[in-house]
Amino acid sequence: MNRQALPQFESIEAIRHGFDALGYICSDRIATTVFLAFQLGKPVLVEGPPGVGKTELAKTASALLSLPLIRLQCYEGLDEAKALYEWKYGKQLLYTQILKEKLGDLLQGADDLAAAVERLHAFGDIFYSEAFLEPRPLLTAMQQEEGAILLIDEIDKADYEFESLLLEVLSDFQVSIPEIGTVRARSRPMVFLTSNNTREISDALKRRCLHLYIPFPSLELEERIVQSRVPGIDDALRRQLVAFVHSLRELDLRKTPAISETIDWARSLLLLHADALDAQLVRDSLGTLLKFEQDIEAAQAELGSLLDISAGRH
Amino acid sequence: MQASLITFIRILRSHDVRVSPAETLDAVAALQLLGYADRDRLRTGLTASLAKTSREQHIVETCFDRYFGQRDADFSGKDDNDDADDTDSAGSAAAGPESPPQDSGAADDGERELLESAAETHDSVRELLQSALMQGLMNNERAQLSAALRRAGSASGVADIQMFTQKGLYVRSILQAMGEEQLRSAVIDLERDEHPALDSIRRYRDILRSQVRDYVDGQYLLHAEGRNSQFMDDILSKTRLSHIERHYMDRVQRLVEKMARRLASRHSSRRRPVRRGQLDMRKTLRAGVPTDGILFRTHWRRRRRDKAQVLALCDVSGSVAAYAKFLLIFLYSLQDILPRMRSFAFSHHLGEISELFETHPVERAVELANWQYGGATDYGGSLRDFARLALNDINRQTSVIILGDARNNRGDPELEIMQSLYQRSKQVIWLNPESRQAWGTGDSEMLRYLSACHFAAECNSLRQLERVIDQLLRSTR
Repeated sequence: MNRQALPQFESIEAIRHGFDALGYICSDRIATTVFLAFQLGKPVLVEGPPGVGKTELAKTASALLSLPLIRLQCYEGLDEAKALYEWKYGKQLLYTQILKEKLGDLLQGADDLAAAVERLHAFGDIFYSEAFLEPRPLLTAMQQEEGAILLIDEIDKADYEFESLLLEVLSDFQVSIPEIGTVRARSRPMVFLTSNNTREISDALKRRCLHLYIPFPSLELEERIVQSRVPGIDDALRRQLVAFVHSLRELDLRKTPAISETIDWARSLLLLHADALDAQLVRDSLGTLLKFEQDIEAAQAELGSLLDISAGRH
Repeated sequence: MQASLITFIRILRSHDVRVSPAETLDAVAALQLLGYADRDRLRTGLTASLAKTSREQHIVETCFDRYFGQRDADFSGKDDNDDADDTDSAGSAAAGPESPPQDSGAADDGERELLESAAETHDSVRELLQSALMQGLMNNERAQLSAALRRAGSASGVADIQMFTQKGLYVRSILQAMGEEQLRSAVIDLERDEHPALDSIRRYRDILRSQVRDYVDGQYLLHAEGRNSQFMDDILSKTRLSHIERHYMDRVQRLVEKMARRLASRHSSRRRPVRRGQLDMRKTLRAGVPTDGILFRTHWRRRRRDKAQVLALCDVSGSVAAYAKFLLIFLYSLQDILPRMRSFAFSHHLGEISELFETHPVERAVELANWQYGGATDYGGSLRDFARLALNDINRQTSVIILGDARNNRGDPELEIMQSLYQRSKQVIWLNPESRQAWGTGDSEMLRYLSACHFAAECNSLRQLERVIDQLLRSTR
């Protein structure tokens, strides 16, 4: 893609406004990093706790640029056949059968074996050509004429070896296929990698990326996010519920509620036609925020003081 | 600007952030894109291209604020205390808005008259009043004075500061370069006849001094702090563990954890496919294409489960007390890394402390292990305990590490048990804190135990420990 010609990404402000318009409220840090990644043509490694909008960032970028989003979900045992490319074996087998029948016709008139082989050579490697190639996400992303957004999700879940496979793709935007040669990206895709930090990513991979850490948002930012995502909610209730979630995050919980949970909770409160938080309401709907029984118990024990704090913050 | 970016990167490296030349180029490109106008943005951009973890992100930001955030020194002398704070916590200072220029520090008319009257009688004061420095101070021209301060600073080579004891030296040479001498001689002259202008000249002198001191403090934090702590770590990792003072325990503990982390990332468990296992249909079919679909060559897929197990025994008796604490900390960190590791502690008897390590924080766990199993050494008895607890679990994939001095108080060494460990396990490794020459002297059974070890090494500093464990992990993989 031509990096200068896209007005959506020409400045940090443009990115922020574009993201805002699509309902992704981002901090200055996020906008600056996306801008740099775009201008420098480097991948971004996005880290942070689950549910702060890492995957959403790539989706929004794809919507803003109207480029296709190509997603590669990583998991243990992911290999190049699933990430990069694969040969169409069935088709190859079928063609072999057809070829066998045609072989007699083709070789008619060849005087001896040497001539027959010579004639066969003229056909080249038909079975290992692009026609038999099944592109997987990484190769697909590089074949897009207009460029693409490539999202490599949860890279920490993939094996260590898979990271090495990514090195060539991410630094040179090319793939080596032994039977064909090197396939270069038609236009450089913009790459987002996300990680939940379940294991350390290798230095070699990190070095090729810009690093972006998305923490839990500040109070004001989260209020704006809820406002943009759940527009129907009352101002006072929104302030109160965001403050409540913030004080919940200070407790020692197994799974801290993230932005996505705040949004879910705001939606469910809207459905329940609530206009203020009270103990009963929170107790009944706590399941949307906290996902472990022991967390819910811990929060219920502190419910009174948590509600006081969140009421007091505003 | 590029030169200062290079200096900034050098500072980052000294603060333990690894920055490669490629990343330096990225930072330069980011700098060109973002420009210098918006400091916060530049800070974000440099952080994104230079930091690789959230820990490094924090370091880069702090250093950025210290390095690029050197705001103009304030010579008004009014909010002197605030300024001293700022130098210490540069992070918060740079984020906050710049305080509006105050001209309260500029000399008022009364003071001016006083000084001019003093100038009539004293030559030194007259000369002083004409100097650029004094003019700047009297009119509180911050930008001009700060520029002079920085010029004098770089002329004195303050960026090479290494030790805090050098601070005084740099302060003096910067003061001299800025022309403080005139101020001083004026003060001496005025002191002689106790002139009323004395106080205000003294005040200017003190303001200047404290500003220069603050500047040097900031430079020290920036340039020397990281280097010094690297130096310290280097020394500590080479020192014999028994000679490290209690005072440094915290630092050593951090160092040990860092070491364990490094080993962990280098040796995180990897799996390799082995020769036979499940039939890999896809690969087999693919290989069969040239042979007309006949599955001539088969491909197999199975992932070998890495079953390497490590059993570590740590002597916590009085004779090795100085080492035991470090070794236990190390075992504690190691147990976090190696999934199938069991730890044992012994002196006159032996017990498993794996669970202790899992349930308690490191300091408490080490204390408990020392308390429960400390005492006089009995290797024979401890080996018998070990055989009872774990001998049946030892197989070809087990590595046994023993940390101890092999001083058995002349008891039965139970060499047979050691030999059966030797035969059953993949490897027996003995790490002895005593130097090789001392092995076998007095009540040391080391030479006899040596016959039942695959590998024995002297191990009394963190560096040796790391080297040995690295070797061990490489072979357990």
